[in-house]
Amino acid sequence: MSRSKTIGVALSSVLLGAGVLSLMGFGLASAQPHQPALTATPTGTRGHVALTISVYPDSQIGGNRGTGGAHPDWVSYSNDNLVVPANSVVDMTVKQYDTGGELNNSVFGNVFGTVGNTMNVNGKEVSSWDPTSIGHTFTLRGISGDGTRLMVSVPIPFDTNKGAENNGGGVEIAPMIVKFSFKTGGKGVYQWNCEFPCGGSRQGQFGEAMSTYGYMSGTLTVK
Amino acid sequence: MTNQNDNKKHHRDIFIVWALLTVIGVLVGLYATPWLMPKSASHTMSMGILTMVIFTVAAAPVAALVYAVCLYALTIWRHRGEGVPADGPAIRGNGPATVLWLVGSTVLTLFLLIWGLGLLGSDQSAGAKASIEAANGGSAEITVDVTAQQWLWSFSYPGTHVKSLDLYLPVNKDVEFNVTSKDVVHGFWIVQMGIKVNANPGVITTTSVTPDKIGTYTIRCTEICGLDHAFMMTKVHVVSEADFQKWLASQPTRI
Amino acid sequence: MTTTLEHFTPVGAVPAGGGLHRRLNFFTALISGGLFAFIAWALSHHFLNSDGSGFSDQVTVLASIGWVLGFELGIGALTPIGRWIIGKDQVHDDELYLAGKNMGVRRHWKYCTDHKVVGVQYIVVTAILLGAGGILAMGIRTNLMTPGLHFVNQQVYNSFLSVHGMVMILALIVAVAGPWANFVVPIMVGARDMAFPRLNALSLWTLVAAIPLLLGSLAIGGLDMGWVTQAPISEQTGVGFDLFAMSIVTFTISTTVAGINTICTVMTMRTKGMNLERLPIFVWASVVAAALGLYAFPFFLVVMSLNLADRMVGTSFFVASQGGTGWLQENLFWLMGHPEVYVILIPAVGALMEITTVFARKPLFSYRTALGSMVSLAGLSALVWAHHMFTTGWAPSLGGPFMVTTEMISIPTGLMFLVILGTLWRGNIWMRLPMYWVFGFLFNFIIGGVTGIYLSDIPVDNQMHGTMFVVAHFHYVFVGSVLFGAIGALCFWYPKVTGRFLDERLGKLSFWLVFVGVQVTFLSMFVSGLRGMSRRYSSYEMIFEHTNLVSTMGAYTIMAGMLVLLGAVITSWTGGEPSGPNPWKSKTLEWLVPTPVPLENFEVLPVITSDPYTYGEAQ
Repeated sequence: MSRSKTIGVALSSVLLGAGVLSLMGFGLASAQPHQPALTATPTGTRGHVALTISVYPDSQIGGNRGTGGAHPDWVSYSNDNLVVPANSVVDMTVKQYDTGGELNNSVFGNVFGTVGNTMNVNGKEVSSWDPTSIGHTFTLRGISGDGTRLMVSVPIPFDTNKGAENNGGGVEIAPMIVKFSFKTGGKGVYQWNCEFPCGGSRQGQFGEAMSTYGYMSGTLTVK
Repeated sequence: MTNQNDNKKHHRDIFIVWALLTVIGVLVGLYATPWLMPKSASHTMSMGILTMVIFTVAAAPVAALVYAVCLYALTIWRHRGEGVPADGPAIRGNGPATVLWLVGSTVLTLFLLIWGLGLLGSDQSAGAKASIEAANGGSAEITVDVTAQQWLWSFSYPGTHVKSLDLYLPVNKDVEFNVTSKDVVHGFWIVQMGIKVNANPGVITTTSVTPDKIGTYTIRCTEICGLDHAFMMTKVHVVSEADFQKWLASQPTRI
Repeated sequence: MTTTLEHFTPVGAVPAGGGLHRRLNFFTALISGGLFAFIAWALSHHFLNSDGSGFSDQVTVLASIGWVLGFELGIGALTPIGRWIIGKDQVHDDELYLAGKNMGVRRHWKYCTDHKVVGVQYIVVTAILLGAGGILAMGIRTNLMTPGLHFVNQQVYNSFLSVHGMVMILALIVAVAGPWANFVVPIMVGARDMAFPRLNALSLWTLVAAIPLLLGSLAIGGLDMGWVTQAPISEQTGVGFDLFAMSIVTFTISTTVAGINTICTVMTMRTKGMNLERLPIFVWASVVAAALGLYAFPFFLVVMSLNLADRMVGTSFFVASQGGTGWLQENLFWLMGHPEVYVILIPAVGALMEITTVFARKPLFSYRTALGSMVSLAGLSALVWAHHMFTTGWAPSLGGPFMVTTEMISIPTGLMFLVILGTLWRGNIWMRLPMYWVFGFLFNFIIGGVTGIYLSDIPVDNQMHGTMFVVAHFHYVFVGSVLFGAIGALCFWYPKVTGRFLDERLGKLSFWLVFVGVQVTFLSMFVSGLRGMSRRYSSYEMIFEHTNLVSTMGAYTIMAGMLVLLGAVITSWTGGEPSGPNPWKSKTLEWLVPTPVPLENFEVLPVITSDPYTYGEAQ
């Protein structure tokens, strides 16, 4: 093969291959299920922001999951992409519409990492909850770029007197309201998920919604 | 040129290249290896780093031999010119060379083996011990129960009221970890202390170590455990005995 | 001498020339497979209990079985046995048709029993597997280029790395053994075809049937637990695992059939005078690897079946909460997993030894050492599996014994180096394209092999297990050594298959790109591991960002090199410089037959009087 033909084959192989790969990559990246970010809003108090999310017994309504997605019957949080500012106090509210049961690891019945190490459940200030009547948890952890460690875990109880507030009809019925606050440090991306496994599989019930991106886990970006 | 003289020349030249490459390899082993590894926080880790250094230094002459012969083949023995080269000498084998190679590699292997087995036997935390029933304290001075769960580590200190998502340890005290999992297999690894044992559901596995330096170190998960495996990490704080007791006392009673 | 294809004509034979069987090809197989998969899916969906927890798994497994059966039916793999069962056995004309006589290029799309056609088909399948695995590798490295998940999310990333692992392992198992144990080995031993030509075609098409199942696991349900599919987490994941397991079951059938074929061919079909000590070393490598595979792959079949049983019908082999244990899965898996890497390695080393004798113009240095090292490597590999389990907490008292057996494996491995270096010693080194890959192998395999010995030492393994150090180690062996052997074999035998040289300039360019890429990617990965980065991480802390960026740049370089190689293979196939039947002036039998090789290989079967390494000796 002549020299110019050699160069031609080499270049076109690489360019063609790189082109195909880039197209595939671009297509893949754009097809990622990115939920729109839920940004915390400033409250009246200086240095505080507020963030409200909900957790539902299925994924048919609420937040960004209006369509139900691939698994309309799976339990899900309303948002999985949370954004908060650095070096502030986040006043978080979680509205709990689901039932629950007994935690498989009772340590998560305690409140960790919040301001005062307490949470406010329907007006009552507590530092733990009976591990047999927990709906979900909000467990946030990670070590970000500058070494800041966030470790917040709050059990989200369920009201043992009521049944599940099923939201198939799209109406928000009175939920259990849990409020807590935590401090953010430097910038970074942290992961949070629920530590009360209720998904499929015999071993640990951590299948299905618990291990599929976007249902019972998400990110908290500190900007 | 007779074959004898040729062979002597080849042996001498290859020896020179081999010696040069070995020196480079040994230097890499002595300096690069410890520099790249995390700073040690336990005797176990120090011995692990030392083992890496020794293995690298021992491997250097072996690699150097292979590379030296290759370099020689690519330069001195290379056929230059067009067309098929003439046949080379019909060397079907060389008894002494084969025996020397076999003996040499066996000796090297035995040396590495004896070093490794010796280290394994002497340091109780170099191997992970499993026990099916709940572990008792054994010879450890403190015990920590580690529970792995997707995707978080939680710790409790038997004999105290403390349950925590943070790990605090007193310096210079032997600590035994009883590790288990609530769901899938996770890998409990304290990076700077050189200990690692898997957390298996339904079983308790154990490992132990004596941290010998005050500081903050990292725990990472080393068995893929699903979605957030890459984020399953936390810190371990090694503090003085007094600070450790203060921390224990400051922990609230948790359910 | 009569050909081996003569056959008696039974009563009531089907007349030659007609029938559905003659029209079957890859496309009818795809359609038939899809149809049967759909029917199986629909039937099982309708009749099985949809409330059972194993329902979706049962449906997926049955649909996969439908796919494989339909595919085999559609390619014509089941026709010969079917005809035999109904008493209308194939006649001579049918068998000539199956062998692809006078059919031209289109026989490569069909169920063809000619071992040379199967060899070429395996080249294509290897290229497809390497391509798919390579695309996934690019996805992995692009995601790891920066910390934070900027390309894909964790779930997609975990699936990428799991399927990348399995696809590449499959690709490497067949990379040397597939094309060359099929194309070259029968000719090397002086036979007209393999012992079981129809099983040969079956093994290829069964492998092809397995590929959509494996890639399908990526698309349907994902696979988030690595190619080792460890027990508790594999029970947790979606139906992607069922597709994965079924692809492995299918693959096991393919590899078992191929292994039996290779061994029987070499043991029973050697020509007159070809006694065992005159066999080329590549033949021995193929036989040893096939035998080891026959030992190892059934474990894979077993572990996948047990896992499927746990998921489909509620057994608890691996479910700890109901009396099972994940350790059982790990043991069974690694009982396969360790011998399997030697099944991958040994044919590549055998091919490189062959190449070295030709391009140093010297006999193989110490044939018996070469053979002995391969056999002892295979034998020892069955005794080392638990070195993958040092940190699991299973049987700590066995740590010492497994450390001993694992370190002992370094001895036969070292002897392989002796053979190649001894063959190079004082040779007239002819630096043509295949020889580049030999030197690349020698450079890389030392690094890969030595770092393996590091990991065999338990105190070091306690630090390094599950980190990028392990990943770099096995990539040095798989990519730096086995892949180099596979590409070297391709460059070496390319003129025999096509009658043309693989373009030397493009080949050398691809060599340098891949070689440099391997060093950059995986040396940097060693550093990541030494500094404490765990493996299978979709994102990492800031301290690892530089080494990961460098690794990604290296990976792109490897990709460029492989693309150039692909371009070279494609353009040289019809446009390369003509080579003649024996351009390398080699003495093994495959070079002494014309190119293109006639249907029955030899006009007259040769009589052998010496081994093929008589360089420098009086004839």
